[in-house]
Amino acid sequence: MSDNPILRVRDVRKTYGGVEVLKGVSFDLERGQSKIVIGPSGTGKSTLLRCINLLSPPDSGSVILDGVTVEERGINQIRAQIGFVFQEFNLFTHLRVLDNVRLAQRNVLGRSKREATKRALEELERVGLSDKLEAYPAELSGGQKQRASIARALAMDPKLILFDEPTSALDPELTGEVVQVMKDLANAGMTMLVVSHEMGFAKAAADEVIFMEGGVIVEQGPPSTLFTCPEHARTSQFLRMITHEHEEG
Amino acid sequence: MVFDTLVAEFPFLLRGLWIGVQLLAALLALGFVLGLTLAVMSVYGHWTLRLFTVVFERIFRGIPEIVLLLLFFYGIGELLPLSPFLAAVLALGLRSTAYQAQIFRGSIQSVAGGEVMAARALGMSRLGAIWHIVLPQALRRSIGPWTNEYSAELKATSLAYVIGVVELTRQASYIVSNLQGNTLTVFAVVAAMYFVVNRLGNAGLYALERKLAVPGFEGRGASS
Repeated sequence: MSDNPILRVRDVRKTYGGVEVLKGVSFDLERGQSKIVIGPSGTGKSTLLRCINLLSPPDSGSVILDGVTVEERGINQIRAQIGFVFQEFNLFTHLRVLDNVRLAQRNVLGRSKREATKRALEELERVGLSDKLEAYPAELSGGQKQRASIARALAMDPKLILFDEPTSALDPELTGEVVQVMKDLANAGMTMLVVSHEMGFAKAAADEVIFMEGGVIVEQGPPSTLFTCPEHARTSQFLRMITHEHEEG
Repeated sequence: MVFDTLVAEFPFLLRGLWIGVQLLAALLALGFVLGLTLAVMSVYGHWTLRLFTVVFERIFRGIPEIVLLLLFFYGIGELLPLSPFLAAVLALGLRSTAYQAQIFRGSIQSVAGGEVMAARALGMSRLGAIWHIVLPQALRRSIGPWTNEYSAELKATSLAYVIGVVELTRQASYIVSNLQGNTLTVFAVVAAMYFVVNRLGNAGLYALERKLAVPGFEGRGASS
């Protein structure tokens, strides 16, 4: 663990309607590292991601991005440095793919149209959507939508990207193309924090796996260790359950 | 002959119609700007702003338009002399504001919240997200319901005749009193004129709706 992680999360707590969803979560994310967060549903994984960029501000604890505390003051400039990929894609319905990727570059980063277009074209090529620039989101498949939303995040040149169950809304035959894009990103050195049960990604591209349950981190470690000989009985139980699901599915 | 007189008087009817259309344009424009503002306030505003929008809507949707016209012309006109036309624009325009605010509020609330969240996650401000994401979609969806408002307000302009705006209906009543009868014929012509303007306006709005439709989405007639 270095002294200068890109993201430092310390004792983050969050209560929703009287239920403590996050009960003190702490971890670091190093530059270029990709971590995957797994755990049963309702365990606070998505809430954790939303606490990092204050889409859902934590009740207590701290989040430090590249040495700067994430707080309401100046939040827009901080969010611009944190990519966020949603389960439901959340592309802008009324804008073509190219404009989806250009809008925040121009509106938030103040880039010129030419510069924003150049970056958008680069990232859309990277995710394999160069032939869909003029399409509207409703004309894309689920996998294409998610790849467009990844390009939208990448074009902002973020310091890291948070992925909130990026393949959960996709048909099984479409998850592969999104997972491939994510693997390529991880291999290219993008810093990523991924909430997902995509074992393919976890095994091939994650540097570390975080297992969460009941609002706390139960254990974390490299996939080779955590998947083969987890320390906690609860972790192995959960892993058995999801590998089972995947085999049956 | 009544028809000779009608032909001779037709320019007056046209002039009346022109006044009516100007009144319509002015009151709809006022209602659009203020109604959209109220709608944004009622969805995104502080509770004091939301309370204001509710009170405003209750008042202006709860009073008959003819009473509003009289209140504005004779009431406010006491303190601050208003021309009949201006009084009609204010009375009908503020009432239209209340109705249009409801149209826009509904369509604003129909825009997927996830898209606003995505915009905020990219670093866009709240206002930026409303301006670039919510309003372009909400306004497209408002065109259909807005045709109702257009039709209703076109007909409401005829009420301005009670405070002395010389619009189409008032021109017609002048002609009727000159002709001493033939009321039916004159008002049939007037009815046809309102009908044509209503149809033209609605045809234009439907064309706009089709032109702005986002491809891939089911629009009017897409499923038939």
